[in-house]
Amino acid sequence: MPEAAAADTTAGGAFEPKIVAFLCNWCSYAGADLAGISRIQYPPSIRVIRVPCSGRVDPFYILKALQKGADGVLVSGCHPGDCHYLTGNYVARRRFAVLNDLLEFAGIDPGRVSFSWVSAAEGERFAEVVRDVTEQVRQLGPNKKLLKDTIA
Amino acid sequence: MSREDQLRKRAKELLANKEVAMVLGYRAGKRPGRATPAFVTRPEDADILIFDDRCGMNLAAYLPRVKHRGRIAVVAKGCDSRSIVTLLKERQVDRSQFFILGVGCEGVKENGRLSDSCTTCAYPNPVICDEMVGEKVAEREPAPDPLADFEKLSSDQRWQVLMDDVSRCIRCYACRQVCPNCYCPTCFVDANSPQWVGKTTAGSDNMMFHLMRAMHMAGRCVECGACSRGCPMGIDLMKFNRKVARVVRERFGAVAGLDPDQPPALAAFDPNDKQEFIR
Repeated sequence: MPEAAAADTTAGGAFEPKIVAFLCNWCSYAGADLAGISRIQYPPSIRVIRVPCSGRVDPFYILKALQKGADGVLVSGCHPGDCHYLTGNYVARRRFAVLNDLLEFAGIDPGRVSFSWVSAAEGERFAEVVRDVTEQVRQLGPNKKLLKDTIA
Repeated sequence: MSREDQLRKRAKELLANKEVAMVLGYRAGKRPGRATPAFVTRPEDADILIFDDRCGMNLAAYLPRVKHRGRIAVVAKGCDSRSIVTLLKERQVDRSQFFILGVGCEGVKENGRLSDSCTTCAYPNPVICDEMVGEKVAEREPAPDPLADFEKLSSDQRWQVLMDDVSRCIRCYACRQVCPNCYCPTCFVDANSPQWVGKTTAGSDNMMFHLMRAMHMAGRCVECGACSRGCPMGIDLMKFNRKVARVVRERFGAVAGLDPDQPPALAAFDPNDKQEFIR
């Protein structure tokens, strides 16, 4: 996918990251919605994928996004204790912890993949998380590791 | 009576008394220094069984595939017994289906040297068994952290080292075939609707495969090293296995394959799990 591999740039030439965001339906997606209807500004860097629960996010989805050209990945779910399915995010948290440490071990820059808890009432917080994550990925520059076609 | 003689005698008795339908053990391989699994169903064939430092395969890998044959007696060293515990936890086998003939293990040889995985072995004796054949062996002092040097490298260097290593992967999936944890009817690498893992041996696809293989081992891998020994390209798969095992041990205080009553670490949770990496 050459067009996906090409780094996005704004008119000014600065690097604008592409970030895939997996948001849980019950909290973070609603939080993003609240940010939208409250007209809170945040960078248009994220591509939202709505999932039923953060527990639905297989670590593979995260790696696949990076392989297919995302510069960063954000996974966001309900705060611990607030899961719509009671324990989905607790189980997900263990998986993410292992993935986080494994990626760091493998030399994929920490910060490419971020995790957060954002509730449906935290529109401002959602915007803040996106701002932070976007800035973090912008600092790291375009994703080269794991990207298909760029490494033989 | 030597341990091997004892093993053959017990295998003969179990088969002759119809206590088991099959004894799953090791026999000498065609090439020197190698053993191969033996599926013994007749008492008179029990004399082919061996047990020594050639026996590196993890026999637990065969259990889900032979369980339909009836009750099975299986020869298990420390790591095999821990893999059986993993299979029990994940309800792939039933404890009553097996008679475990435990053997103490002094480490297996690979090309004449002690296999890398055995240098860090903390469980040379079976953690569960119905009967010990021969004496338990003394626990060895595990080698110091084998990941220490690698983890001192910079992020980019680590990536490069792993990339150089996994780039050689020919995706034969021998690591999966020998692994007792890999019993899925359809492996994620074979699933093609949707196709998760690229089929090419490009670095990116290979790295995806190895990272995901490691993720699937988290909290389940007993670090027997069968995958590393089985790899025809000599890829250091134990590096990934050791890392995830250590993460699970340090974060969740869980060690795979010890207690059949504990759920697998990644199928459970503690509300107080550390979450310093989550914003």
